[in-house]
Amino acid sequence: MIAIIMLAVVLIAGIVAIIDSIPLSVQKVYGYSRFLTGVTPRGDMSYFPTILRHFEKSPVPIERRIICRTSIFNVNTIVGPWPFVLHGINPNDFDYLSNKLRLGRLDGRQPISGRGEAVITKPIAKNLRLHLGSIMLSPHDEKNYSLTPVVVVGIYDSDQWFAYTSYEYLVQTHFPPVDVAIYFAKDQQTQRRLDAWADKTLAGTKANVYTYPKVERDTAESLAVLFRILDLVVGLLVVVITIMMCMLVNIYLSQRIVEFGLLQAIGISRKRLVTRTVAEAAWMILTGWIVGSAVTAAVLTLIRNVLMNPKGYYIDPLDPLAYVYTIPVPAAVLITSIAIVLIKFAKFDPIAVIERRIV
Amino acid sequence: MIRTETASLTYWDHGRAIKACDQISLAIRKDEFVGILGPSGSGKSSLLYLLSGLKDPTAGVVFYDEQPYAQRPPDERAAIRLNAFGFVFQQPFLIGFLTALENVMCANGSRHEHRARKLLESLGLQDKMNRLPSDLSGGEKQRVCIARALLHEPKVVFADEPTASLDHETGTQVVEMLVRNRNGALVMVTHDESMLTQADRVLRIHEGRLQESS
Ligand SMILES: Nc1ncnc2c1ncn2[C@@H]1O[C@H](COP(=O)(O)OP(=O)(O)O)[C@@H](O)[C@H]1O
Ligand SMILES: [Mg+2]
Repeated sequence: MIAIIMLAVVLIAGIVAIIDSIPLSVQKVYGYSRFLTGVTPRGDMSYFPTILRHFEKSPVPIERRIICRTSIFNVNTIVGPWPFVLHGINPNDFDYLSNKLRLGRLDGRQPISGRGEAVITKPIAKNLRLHLGSIMLSPHDEKNYSLTPVVVVGIYDSDQWFAYTSYEYLVQTHFPPVDVAIYFAKDQQTQRRLDAWADKTLAGTKANVYTYPKVERDTAESLAVLFRILDLVVGLLVVVITIMMCMLVNIYLSQRIVEFGLLQAIGISRKRLVTRTVAEAAWMILTGWIVGSAVTAAVLTLIRNVLMNPKGYYIDPLDPLAYVYTIPVPAAVLITSIAIVLIKFAKFDPIAVIERRIV
Repeated sequence: MIRTETASLTYWDHGRAIKACDQISLAIRKDEFVGILGPSGSGKSSLLYLLSGLKDPTAGVVFYDEQPYAQRPPDERAAIRLNAFGFVFQQPFLIGFLTALENVMCANGSRHEHRARKLLESLGLQDKMNRLPSDLSGGEKQRVCIARALLHEPKVVFADEPTASLDHETGTQVVEMLVRNRNGALVMVTHDESMLTQADRVLRIHEGRLQESS
């Protein structure tokens, strides 16, 4: 009985934690966008000056504007490759950016303008198994393509995911020739206000606005279906396990019917017997749940440390959502157990046991 | 202490009435040993259930301390059985996963451990206190049941054919121990007259009706 609950808890919490690691990965991988509001014209570069003019009238104070180019490469996740941005940055913005994004200490050097050189952060290095001098993009690599090979010349010692090369390099090698304006505010709160303002002002124009809240919203939306399926699976699991446990509880009580009959005959009140039995059941169920949760946490921690961390994958072994999802199982089993105990004792005649008419 | 007034107990079996107890009036006095003798099916067990409040009469009244059981709530009746009565049934019912000693204390708590040990000793089970029921003979199990019934020094011990599942010699020993170790009244039901030689009174029951004899 304890084992069944335990297994169910491990199963559910495990699945939920793994699915819930997706938004966690999004948060980590695209975490840098928390610090900025990005705007780019949709295809038509002639609209770019209009965008810049819009921002000159921004009511939210802007700390700095950076003009850059972007290209896309892929990082690995448990759900397959995700697109990630290689920014083309002007050398005079390097220092500002590394401070703003808290990129920490740089191992190696900054890319030289116009050359196939890039700087990345530690998680990306782990994720793509890159070292100083590794080729990150190349003309022979379909997934991570560039016209000429791009070599890693610097790695920041930071948990942030960020990658950049020089503006000039992307101008020379990358199509289409579309600039991105990145605006920084002095702190997170102001940045969110800037995000909201930009979203509102540029809605319906030929500008594309990238903000962190948008990333989060998109993730939540795309995972909504998955979570609905999860609800269904957990619901089914609860039903199956509850039915199974009902049968077990029934057998268990039948095995102890002589004990209950005897105790009731010699003067233990029905109330006390019911309370005692329910307490026993509750104790078992709680034990199963706690042990199951502990096992899950241990297994997930192991998975994280051995399998996920080295690849720059993320999972939270103590994900509250995972453990919340396991609650319906013990709750349903507890409620049905109590119901079965009550029903059994309601029509229970100790004399019948004493007289050996039921055993 | 316990008194019945024309108490009857009628069972219904497939629409047929079975008068297990028919207008029985009797009184159990403090500390006496009352034997109830009758053949199988005469209503002995039924009478015990009426006297101990385990069943309600279908007609008439059963009093405990001058108040009818029927007027007492179930919890109070359970408390009376627990604190004032002791039961020995025909089958030596014990809880399988508890030792002999734990079985003796299972209802009335471990505060009586000292007395439980002494009782088991006086019943000749000093070496078997920590055995499980499955490792005890029938006679030994019934002695454990006696210890359980006597643990809390009940005012009345009800014994329903305590010797039925035992051979004659063991049965006589068991009754002997029950009689010797009791502190209050003893109501013992049997179909074997030889078990009642020490009784203060013997009542005969036949087809649910009572006839008193010395
Ligand atoms: N629950 C019951 N339903 C129907 N008849 C019963 C029930 N219990 C006992 N009887 C009948 O009542 C009569 C008296 O039974 P009982 O009191 O057990 O007698 P004894 O203990 O003397 O053998 C018997 O005829 C028995 O078949
Ligand atoms: Mg009987």
